[in-house]
Amino acid sequence: MDTKTTAADCGYKNGSLPGACAPLAMAYVPMQQSAKPAYAPDEGLSRGTLFPGLDLPFMNMVNTGGLMDTPHCELMALTFAADELELYLDTHPADSEAFAVYQDILKLRAEADKRYTKLYGPVTQSDMLGMSRYAWIDNPWPWDYTANTED
Amino acid sequence: MFEYEKMLQYPVRIKMPNPALAKFIITQYGGPDGELGASLRYLSQRYVMPYPELRALLTDIGTEELGHLEMIGAIVHQLTREMTPEEIKKAGYEGYFVDHTAGIYPTSASGSPWNAAGIGVKGDVISDLTEDMAAEQKARTTYDNILRLSDDPDVNDAIRYLREREVVHFQRFGEGLRNALEKLDQKNFYYSNPAFDT
Repeated sequence: MDTKTTAADCGYKNGSLPGACAPLAMAYVPMQQSAKPAYAPDEGLSRGTLFPGLDLPFMNMVNTGGLMDTPHCELMALTFAADELELYLDTHPADSEAFAVYQDILKLRAEADKRYTKLYGPVTQSDMLGMSRYAWIDNPWPWDYTANTED
Repeated sequence: MFEYEKMLQYPVRIKMPNPALAKFIITQYGGPDGELGASLRYLSQRYVMPYPELRALLTDIGTEELGHLEMIGAIVHQLTREMTPEEIKKAGYEGYFVDHTAGIYPTSASGSPWNAAGIGVKGDVISDLTEDMAAEQKARTTYDNILRLSDDPDVNDAIRYLREREVVHFQRFGEGLRNALEKLDQKNFYYSNPAFDT
Protein backbone atom coordinates (compact mmCIF):
# COMPACT_ATOMS: atom_id res chain seq x y z
CA MET A 1 0.00 0.00 0.00
CA ASP A 2 2.73 2.43 0.94
CA THR A 3 5.13 1.39 -1.79
CA LYS A 4 6.02 4.60 -3.53
CA THR A 5 5.62 4.53 -7.28
CA THR A 6 8.08 6.52 -9.33
CA ALA A 7 7.87 8.46 -12.55
CA ALA A 8 9.57 5.53 -14.24
CA ASP A 9 6.77 3.12 -13.14
CA CYS A 10 4.01 5.43 -14.24
CA GLY A 11 5.12 6.77 -17.58
CA TYR A 12 5.54 10.39 -18.53
CA LYS A 13 1.81 11.26 -18.68
CA ASN A 14 0.92 9.92 -15.22
CA GLY A 15 1.52 11.10 -11.70
CA SER A 16 2.76 8.77 -8.96
CA LEU A 17 0.68 8.18 -5.85
CA PRO A 18 1.63 5.82 -3.01
CA GLY A 19 1.12 2.38 -4.53
CA ALA A 20 -0.61 3.60 -7.68
CA CYS A 21 -0.22 5.67 -10.81
CA ALA A 22 -2.84 8.27 -11.59
CA PRO A 23 -3.36 11.13 -14.01
CA LEU A 24 -2.50 14.57 -12.67
CA ALA A 25 -4.81 17.57 -12.22
CA MET A 26 -7.63 15.63 -10.60
CA ALA A 27 -9.04 15.33 -7.08
CA TYR A 28 -8.82 11.81 -5.66
CA VAL A 29 -10.78 10.44 -2.73
CA PRO A 30 -10.05 6.79 -1.88
CA MET A 31 -12.95 4.45 -2.64
CA GLN A 32 -14.55 2.89 0.43
CA GLN A 33 -13.93 -0.80 -0.22
CA SER A 34 -16.82 -2.36 1.69
CA ALA A 35 -19.98 -1.51 3.63
CA LYS A 36 -18.42 -3.49 6.50
CA PRO A 37 -17.62 -2.89 9.26
CA ALA A 38 -20.74 -0.96 10.17
CA TYR A 39 -22.34 0.29 13.37
CA ALA A 40 -25.81 -0.95 14.36
CA PRO A 41 -28.54 1.43 13.05
CA ASP A 42 -29.11 3.18 16.40
CA GLU A 43 -25.41 3.80 17.01
CA GLY A 44 -25.04 4.91 13.38
CA LEU A 45 -27.81 7.48 13.78
CA SER A 46 -26.28 8.73 17.03
CA ARG A 47 -22.84 9.12 15.40
CA GLY A 48 -24.10 10.44 12.05
CA THR A 49 -22.69 7.59 9.96
CA LEU A 50 -23.00 3.82 9.76
CA PHE A 51 -19.32 3.48 8.90
CA PRO A 52 -16.55 3.65 11.54
CA GLY A 53 -14.04 4.56 8.84
CA LEU A 54 -15.98 7.75 8.06
CA ASP A 55 -16.66 8.62 11.70
CA LEU A 56 -14.35 11.64 12.10
CA PRO A 57 -15.63 13.87 14.92
CA PHE A 58 -14.49 17.46 15.58
CA MET A 59 -12.03 17.55 18.52
CA ASN A 60 -13.05 13.93 19.19
CA MET A 61 -16.35 15.02 20.74
CA VAL A 62 -18.96 12.35 20.06
CA ASN A 63 -22.62 12.08 20.95
CA THR A 64 -22.79 9.89 24.02
CA GLY A 65 -26.26 10.76 25.26
CA GLY A 66 -27.71 7.81 23.40
CA LEU A 67 -31.06 7.72 21.70
CA MET A 68 -34.23 6.86 23.53
CA ASP A 69 -35.48 3.30 23.21
CA THR A 70 -38.79 4.27 21.62
CA PRO A 71 -40.71 3.32 18.46
CA HIS A 72 -39.90 6.86 17.20
CA CYS A 73 -36.13 6.49 17.57
CA GLU A 74 -36.27 2.92 16.24
CA LEU A 75 -37.96 4.19 13.06
CA MET A 76 -35.50 7.09 12.76
CA ALA A 77 -32.51 4.75 13.17
CA LEU A 78 -33.74 2.30 10.51
CA THR A 79 -34.66 5.11 8.11
CA PHE A 80 -31.19 6.56 8.64
CA ALA A 81 -29.51 3.18 8.03
CA ALA A 82 -31.49 2.74 4.79
CA ASP A 83 -30.59 6.26 3.58
CA GLU A 84 -26.92 5.84 4.50
CA LEU A 85 -26.73 2.50 2.64
CA GLU A 86 -28.51 4.12 -0.31
CA LEU A 87 -25.74 6.72 -0.67
CA TYR A 88 -23.15 3.93 -0.43
CA LEU A 89 -24.99 1.92 -3.10
CA ASP A 90 -25.19 4.97 -5.38
CA THR A 91 -21.41 4.84 -5.69
CA HIS A 92 -21.15 1.02 -5.28
CA PRO A 93 -24.18 -0.29 -7.22
CA ALA A 94 -22.60 -3.70 -7.83
CA ASP A 95 -21.93 -4.47 -4.13
CA SER A 96 -24.39 -7.34 -3.68
CA GLU A 97 -23.45 -7.85 -0.02
CA ALA A 98 -24.38 -4.23 0.80
CA PHE A 99 -27.57 -4.59 -1.24
CA ALA A 100 -28.57 -7.64 0.82
CA VAL A 101 -28.06 -5.64 4.05
CA TYR A 102 -30.10 -2.79 2.50
CA GLN A 103 -32.95 -5.26 1.83
CA ASP A 104 -32.87 -6.48 5.45
CA ILE A 105 -32.96 -2.89 6.73
CA LEU A 106 -35.88 -1.98 4.45
CA LYS A 107 -37.82 -4.92 5.82
CA LEU A 108 -37.14 -3.95 9.44
CA ARG A 109 -37.98 -0.34 8.59
CA ALA A 110 -41.38 -1.32 7.18
CA GLU A 111 -42.17 -3.20 10.40
CA ALA A 112 -40.98 -0.30 12.58
CA ASP A 113 -43.12 2.10 10.52
CA LYS A 114 -46.22 -0.03 11.25
CA ARG A 115 -45.47 -0.05 14.99
CA TYR A 116 -44.87 3.71 15.08
CA THR A 117 -47.86 4.82 13.00
CA LYS A 118 -50.23 2.66 15.04
CA LEU A 119 -49.20 4.58 18.17
CA TYR A 120 -48.44 8.09 16.89
CA GLY A 121 -50.12 8.56 13.53
CA PRO A 122 -48.99 8.72 9.91
CA VAL A 123 -45.46 9.59 8.75
CA THR A 124 -46.34 9.51 5.04
CA GLN A 125 -49.52 9.51 2.97
CA SER A 126 -49.44 5.74 2.49
CA ASP A 127 -49.56 5.26 6.28
CA MET A 128 -53.09 6.72 6.19
CA LEU A 129 -54.53 3.82 4.21
CA GLY A 130 -57.16 2.16 6.39
CA MET A 131 -57.01 4.72 9.22
CA SER A 132 -60.28 5.55 10.96
CA ARG A 133 -59.87 9.34 10.85
CA TYR A 134 -57.72 12.07 9.24
CA ALA A 135 -54.76 12.15 11.65
CA TRP A 136 -52.30 13.91 9.32
CA ILE A 137 -52.99 17.32 10.88
CA ASP A 138 -52.37 16.18 14.45
CA ASN A 139 -49.78 17.94 16.61
CA PRO A 140 -46.93 17.66 17.33
CA TRP A 141 -45.19 18.40 14.04
CA PRO A 142 -41.55 17.30 13.71
CA TRP A 143 -40.00 20.69 14.61
CA ASP A 144 -41.90 20.87 17.93
CA TYR A 145 -39.86 20.14 21.04
CA THR A 146 -42.51 17.68 22.22
CA ALA A 147 -42.37 15.69 18.96
CA ASN A 148 -38.84 14.64 19.88
CA THR A 149 -39.36 13.99 23.58
CA GLU A 150 -42.83 12.64 24.38
CA ASP A 151 -42.80 9.02 23.28
CA MET B 1 -41.91 14.51 -7.06
CA PHE B 2 -41.38 14.78 -3.36
CA GLU B 3 -43.25 13.19 -0.51
CA TYR B 4 -43.04 14.58 3.01
CA GLU B 5 -42.07 12.34 5.92
CA LYS B 6 -43.57 13.74 9.12
CA MET B 7 -40.41 13.03 11.13
CA LEU B 8 -36.98 14.67 11.51
CA GLN B 9 -33.91 12.80 10.27
CA TYR B 10 -32.39 13.13 13.76
CA PRO B 11 -34.12 14.27 16.96
CA VAL B 12 -33.93 17.98 17.87
CA ARG B 13 -34.87 18.51 21.51
CA ILE B 14 -33.52 21.74 22.95
CA LYS B 15 -34.55 22.16 26.58
CA MET B 16 -33.36 25.76 27.06
CA PRO B 17 -34.42 28.47 24.59
CA ASN B 18 -31.45 30.73 23.79
CA PRO B 19 -31.80 33.30 20.98
CA ALA B 20 -28.10 34.19 21.25
CA LEU B 21 -27.29 30.80 19.68
CA ALA B 22 -30.06 31.09 17.07
CA LYS B 23 -28.38 34.28 15.84
CA PHE B 24 -25.51 32.37 14.25
CA ILE B 25 -27.02 28.91 13.72
CA ILE B 26 -29.51 30.50 11.27
CA THR B 27 -26.59 30.71 8.84
CA GLN B 28 -26.95 26.99 8.14
CA TYR B 29 -30.56 27.73 7.11
CA GLY B 30 -29.89 30.53 4.66
CA GLY B 31 -26.16 31.30 4.65
CA PRO B 32 -23.63 30.74 1.84
CA ASP B 33 -22.77 27.18 2.95
CA GLY B 34 -26.13 26.35 4.48
CA GLU B 35 -28.55 23.51 3.86
CA LEU B 36 -30.90 25.44 1.55
CA GLY B 37 -28.04 26.19 -0.81
CA ALA B 38 -26.80 22.61 -0.52
CA SER B 39 -30.13 21.08 -1.48
CA LEU B 40 -30.71 23.49 -4.39
CA ARG B 41 -27.15 23.05 -5.66
CA TYR B 42 -27.39 19.26 -5.89
CA LEU B 43 -31.01 19.07 -6.99
CA SER B 44 -30.29 21.62 -9.74
CA GLN B 45 -27.09 19.96 -10.92
CA ARG B 46 -28.91 16.67 -11.55
CA TYR B 47 -30.55 17.52 -14.83
CA VAL B 48 -27.56 17.35 -17.15
CA MET B 49 -25.56 14.71 -15.26
CA PRO B 50 -24.97 12.09 -17.93
CA TYR B 51 -24.43 9.06 -15.67
CA PRO B 52 -27.29 7.34 -13.81
CA GLU B 53 -25.34 6.73 -10.59
CA LEU B 54 -24.53 10.46 -10.36
CA ARG B 55 -28.18 11.36 -11.00
CA ALA B 56 -29.07 9.07 -8.10
CA LEU B 57 -26.35 10.48 -5.83
CA LEU B 58 -27.29 14.13 -6.44
CA THR B 59 -30.98 13.33 -5.96
CA ASP B 60 -30.39 11.42 -2.72
CA ILE B 61 -27.94 13.87 -1.14
CA GLY B 62 -30.02 16.87 -2.31
CA THR B 63 -33.08 15.30 -0.69
CA GLU B 64 -31.19 14.58 2.54
CA GLU B 65 -30.11 18.26 2.62
CA LEU B 66 -33.79 19.27 2.65
CA GLY B 67 -34.12 17.11 5.77
CA HIS B 68 -31.14 18.96 7.27
CA LEU B 69 -32.76 22.30 6.39
CA GLU B 70 -35.75 21.16 8.43
CA MET B 71 -33.48 20.19 11.34
CA ILE B 72 -31.80 23.62 11.35
CA GLY B 73 -35.25 25.24 11.19
CA ALA B 74 -36.27 23.11 14.19
CA ILE B 75 -33.11 24.12 16.13
CA VAL B 76 -33.68 27.85 15.50
CA HIS B 77 -37.40 27.51 16.23
CA GLN B 78 -36.80 25.74 19.55
CA LEU B 79 -34.04 28.20 20.55
CA THR B 80 -36.41 31.14 19.98
CA ARG B 81 -39.65 29.73 21.40
CA GLU B 82 -41.44 31.76 24.10
CA MET B 83 -38.97 34.67 24.01
CA THR B 84 -39.73 37.80 26.01
CA PRO B 85 -38.66 41.28 24.82
CA GLU B 86 -36.14 41.36 27.69
CA GLU B 87 -34.57 38.08 26.57
CA ILE B 88 -34.46 39.30 22.97
CA LYS B 89 -32.57 42.44 24.02
CA LYS B 90 -30.23 40.54 26.33
CA ALA B 91 -29.37 38.09 23.51
CA GLY B 92 -28.80 40.87 20.97
CA TYR B 93 -31.55 39.32 18.83
CA GLU B 94 -33.37 42.61 18.10
CA GLY B 95 -32.21 42.91 14.48
CA TYR B 96 -33.61 39.55 13.42
CA PHE B 97 -36.65 39.93 15.67
CA VAL B 98 -37.93 43.22 14.25
CA ASP B 99 -37.71 41.83 10.71
CA HIS B 100 -39.05 38.30 11.29
CA THR B 101 -40.41 38.06 14.87
CA ALA B 102 -40.05 34.36 15.78
CA GLY B 103 -40.41 33.20 12.16
CA ILE B 104 -37.68 31.22 10.39
CA TYR B 105 -36.12 33.17 7.51
CA PRO B 106 -33.27 32.03 5.23
CA THR B 107 -30.45 34.44 6.01
CA SER B 108 -26.78 34.23 6.84
CA ALA B 109 -25.46 34.94 10.34
CA SER B 110 -24.06 38.21 9.04
CA GLY B 111 -27.51 39.28 7.81
CA SER B 112 -27.46 38.64 4.04
CA PRO B 113 -30.65 36.96 2.83
CA TRP B 114 -30.20 33.62 1.02
CA ASN B 115 -28.63 34.16 -2.38
CA ALA B 116 -28.13 31.75 -5.28
CA ALA B 117 -24.78 33.43 -5.91
CA GLY B 118 -23.44 31.20 -3.14
CA ILE B 119 -24.04 28.00 -5.13
CA GLY B 120 -22.67 26.74 -8.41
CA VAL B 121 -24.30 24.86 -11.28
CA LYS B 122 -21.68 24.81 -14.02
CA GLY B 123 -23.15 22.06 -16.18
CA ASP B 124 -19.81 20.22 -16.33
CA VAL B 125 -19.30 16.85 -14.64
CA ILE B 126 -15.85 17.52 -13.14
CA SER B 127 -16.58 21.15 -12.20
CA ASP B 128 -19.85 20.35 -10.47
CA LEU B 129 -18.55 17.38 -8.49
CA THR B 130 -15.44 19.33 -7.44
CA GLU B 131 -17.74 22.19 -6.34
CA ASP B 132 -19.81 19.70 -4.34
CA MET B 133 -16.75 18.34 -2.55
CA ALA B 134 -15.70 21.90 -1.64
CA ALA B 135 -19.27 22.73 -0.56
CA GLU B 136 -19.31 19.80 1.88
CA GLN B 137 -16.00 20.95 3.36
CA LYS B 138 -17.27 24.52 3.75
CA ALA B 139 -20.40 23.30 5.52
CA ARG B 140 -18.24 21.05 7.74
CA THR B 141 -16.11 24.07 8.69
CA THR B 142 -19.25 26.10 9.47
CA TYR B 143 -20.42 23.34 11.83
CA ASP B 144 -16.94 23.23 13.43
CA ASN B 145 -17.24 26.98 14.04
CA ILE B 146 -20.74 26.59 15.50
CA LEU B 147 -19.38 23.92 17.88
CA ARG B 148 -16.65 26.36 18.96
CA LEU B 149 -19.27 28.98 19.89
CA SER B 150 -22.12 26.93 21.36
CA ASP B 151 -22.04 25.49 24.86
CA ASP B 152 -25.55 23.99 24.80
CA PRO B 153 -25.31 20.17 24.85
CA ASP B 154 -28.72 19.71 23.16
CA VAL B 155 -27.76 22.01 20.28
CA ASN B 156 -24.29 20.50 19.92
CA ASP B 157 -25.71 16.97 19.79
CA ALA B 158 -27.73 17.81 16.65
CA ILE B 159 -24.92 19.97 15.17
CA ARG B 160 -22.38 17.15 15.56
CA TYR B 161 -24.76 14.85 13.69
CA LEU B 162 -25.15 17.35 10.83
CA ARG B 163 -21.39 17.93 10.69
CA GLU B 164 -20.70 14.20 10.35
CA ARG B 165 -23.13 14.00 7.42
CA GLU B 166 -20.93 16.53 5.57
CA VAL B 167 -17.95 14.19 5.99
CA VAL B 168 -19.94 11.25 4.58
CA HIS B 169 -21.24 13.34 1.65
CA PHE B 170 -17.70 14.50 0.82
CA GLN B 171 -16.65 10.85 0.59
CA ARG B 172 -19.59 9.97 -1.68
CA PHE B 173 -19.00 12.92 -4.03
CA GLY B 174 -15.33 11.95 -4.20
CA GLU B 175 -16.34 8.39 -5.10
CA GLY B 176 -18.82 9.74 -7.62
CA LEU B 177 -16.01 11.70 -9.27
CA ARG B 178 -13.84 8.59 -9.41
CA ASN B 179 -16.65 6.59 -10.97
CA ALA B 180 -17.16 9.36 -13.54
CA LEU B 181 -13.46 9.40 -14.44
CA GLU B 182 -13.67 5.77 -15.52
CA LYS B 183 -16.06 6.84 -18.25
CA LEU B 184 -13.97 9.78 -19.48
CA ASP B 185 -11.03 9.79 -21.89
CA GLN B 186 -8.31 8.10 -19.82
CA LYS B 187 -5.53 9.99 -21.59
CA ASN B 188 -7.14 13.40 -20.99
CA PHE B 189 -10.09 13.80 -18.60
CA TYR B 190 -10.60 17.30 -19.95
CA TYR B 191 -10.97 16.23 -23.58
CA SER B 192 -14.70 17.10 -23.51
CA ASN B 193 -17.65 17.68 -21.17
CA PRO B 194 -19.95 14.63 -21.26
CA ALA B 195 -22.75 16.76 -19.80
CA PHE B 196 -22.77 18.75 -23.07
CA ASP B 197 -20.72 17.08 -25.81
CA THR B 198 -22.09 13.76 -26.98
